[in-house]
Amino acid sequence: MASMALEGIHVLDFTWVAVGPITTKYLADNGADVIKIESLTHIDVLRAAPPYTDGKFGINRSQFFADYNTSKKTVQLNLSHPRARELAMRLVPWADVVVENFTPKVMRGWGMDYDHLRELRPDLIMMSSCLQGQTGPQAMMPGFGQLMAALSGFYYISGYGDGDPAPPYGAYTDYITPRFAAALLMAAIDHRRRTGQGQYIDVSQFEASLHFLAPALIDYFASGRVLQPQANRSQRYAPHGAYRCADEGETERWISIAVADDAQWNAMLRVLGNPACEERFATMLGRLRNFAPLDQFVAAAVRNRQAWELTAKLQEAGVAAYPVQSCLDLHQDENLEAFGFWNWLEHEEMGAAPYMGLEHRLEGTPGRLRWAAPVMGQHTDEILRDMLGLSEAEIAQLRKDGALT
Amino acid sequence: MPCELLKDFRMLDLSDEKGAVCGKIFADMGADVIKVEPPGGCSTRRIPPFLHDRPGADTSLYFLAYQAGKRSVTLNLENADGRRLLAELARTADFLVESHPVGYLESIGLGYQALAAVNPRLIYTSITPFGDRGPARGYRAADITIWAAGGNMYLMGEEGRPPLQVSAPQAGLHAGAEAAAASMIAHYPRQSSGRGQHIVVDMQACIVWTLMNAQAFPILHGGSMRRNGVFSGALRLKRKMVFRCADGHISMLLTGGTAAASVKALVQWMDEKGFAAPWMRQQNWSVWAPGVISPASDYEIEQVHDIEDRVERFFMTMTRREIYAEGLKRRILLSPVNTVADIAADEQLKARQFFVPVHHEIDGGMDLIFPGAFAKLSATPLAPPTPPPRLGEHNEAVYRGMLGLSAQDLTMLRATNAI
Repeated sequence: MASMALEGIHVLDFTWVAVGPITTKYLADNGADVIKIESLTHIDVLRAAPPYTDGKFGINRSQFFADYNTSKKTVQLNLSHPRARELAMRLVPWADVVVENFTPKVMRGWGMDYDHLRELRPDLIMMSSCLQGQTGPQAMMPGFGQLMAALSGFYYISGYGDGDPAPPYGAYTDYITPRFAAALLMAAIDHRRRTGQGQYIDVSQFEASLHFLAPALIDYFASGRVLQPQANRSQRYAPHGAYRCADEGETERWISIAVADDAQWNAMLRVLGNPACEERFATMLGRLRNFAPLDQFVAAAVRNRQAWELTAKLQEAGVAAYPVQSCLDLHQDENLEAFGFWNWLEHEEMGAAPYMGLEHRLEGTPGRLRWAAPVMGQHTDEILRDMLGLSEAEIAQLRKDGALT
Repeated sequence: MPCELLKDFRMLDLSDEKGAVCGKIFADMGADVIKVEPPGGCSTRRIPPFLHDRPGADTSLYFLAYQAGKRSVTLNLENADGRRLLAELARTADFLVESHPVGYLESIGLGYQALAAVNPRLIYTSITPFGDRGPARGYRAADITIWAAGGNMYLMGEEGRPPLQVSAPQAGLHAGAEAAAASMIAHYPRQSSGRGQHIVVDMQACIVWTLMNAQAFPILHGGSMRRNGVFSGALRLKRKMVFRCADGHISMLLTGGTAAASVKALVQWMDEKGFAAPWMRQQNWSVWAPGVISPASDYEIEQVHDIEDRVERFFMTMTRREIYAEGLKRRILLSPVNTVADIAADEQLKARQFFVPVHHEIDGGMDLIFPGAFAKLSATPLAPPTPPPRLGEHNEAVYRGMLGLSAQDLTMLRATNAI
């Protein structure tokens, strides 16, 4: 089995920004043929989002966009133009799966909603994944994952509990939904293979993301308890948190530590050279109750230690610990390297850059980042000519008419 | 009402909190998920907090949430009969997911090769903190240490105070959901080739994937982003992402360019209430993107501070609900910083009947409410949530009904602590 898992699956990809593109990337990096439909008139906003190669802006220079669109082909079609819509519709019979993540009115407005598209391919599987789902009073809410992360509770429960929230960086929920969506698409494809039946899948990013807060929601409904930001406090580990170690040059360095039981606590004290410590820290209950002074004790005890050396010693003693890694650290991390996580790919305009790789490895049919993200319009002529049988003259005319902008 | 998607498929779930949501996703999609627990119960039964703060084998909220819809058998992997039973179960299974320390299952004769020998169709997914090849492959891990190793912690919190974790640990959930996606990807070729395979999921890598664009800055622009409270760093400029209002906070994207229509609508609204500055009325928002394309100028930085101050003063006159309702009408890119109580009362989730009542036979019967389907499917709706199993609840059904053991066999296996 040297081939890739999803060879032969065809995906017509109307998605943009993050949730949609990351979902189709699962398929593309595992061998499916994914054709992304793009237009300068309605540009995928990540093409205009930093960071850019050498810090210079350009719609083909964003690594943000590049990371989410590997192994895909792109065709430039201005879907506001009727001729472009007609061409997109002619690709539908080829597609096993159509994926889009606009606000619900967009595909409807183009006459390209599921009911229309399945006339072109009766067993089509179509997935829509807008912020709040296709139905309901808030279905039309536009926006990005930052807003969804706030709406779905992750901002509120992040912080020290004594002021403003300290939310997770960026569009946090954008990285939850695609995992559910990819699993679901594969299940729907297999179901169709067995039954011949396609279907429409409505993924609400709100609903999928809430599954990562399910315990707190069940708790609230049962007891009325509202989960509050806890800083790093835990009900099962003590100590539990991030503690500042010796600086590395100009850079501060922190270590994360989680101690699960007395044996680990005693092992940690030995690693720290058995510093004098209060009696109330001797038991788990004492440590959990006196979390704040315990934090101060650990912070003082590790302040002058080297984080990497301390990690190795704590791990050797059976204590969960790891340095708090910056993004630069990640690029030098030996474990990510050993997993083959960073992939240097050569991009048409950006040259070589490290792309985030797969988080899983299929031993029998390994996926891989087959090629760097396409530049705008890179495969337009190829697709129109080879897949739709258009002549050079026809393509030139379409371009002149503004259908391919 | 099981879901048709995976109704003829079975998963053995040997994972702990690093993978529990994988089997949950499979159960929602209709698979028969058998949670294989040590005789003392899966460690997720002991994760606090507990329902009504009453600890018990069935009341961990984490357990309730992520073991829902599964069956439970007990099985002692430290015992030769127990190990043989697992191989028998694997013969009947399509998927297996586990999160033991790297190499543990192999060391007791239950690694991928051994189980593939009895069932070549098996898809066997191992969730690992740091992968199976690097120097930390044997490291002990907790959710917070993976959050730190994967880079998200570095970006959360305020300068001068410790970096933070989300107050509902997330790393195991990312890894578990990733395991579900990867297992389903392997399912596709297996259904035609008849051959399963081993999959390794890397938790640390799963967290790197949550960093949005941050990971790419050191190489492309030089320098790492830093934790910055409610601000997001850009070129020469820190932009506020969260604003105070009368009863909490509002998250908002306050930039022009691709979000120009939103700022325009906001300024229009502020102007109606007397909060807009003259420059804001004249600004061409479609070209206003300080610090996005090139470093912000001093003038732009002044503009950003001015609009942020005014927005916050404006929002302080209203509640989260009022701002959200008006924001939806005017199509402004904002949302309330919701608590779980706000989410429970959300009109959209109510209209879509997202939350579902579940009756659970614990403590004499209890009515609970669970998050419902993670997606709506037209042909094969996902299974509505059902309670998680009692410890060993399905020992009879599985060992006798499925594997054909006798009542006497079962008694002996219990007596020897094999199950």
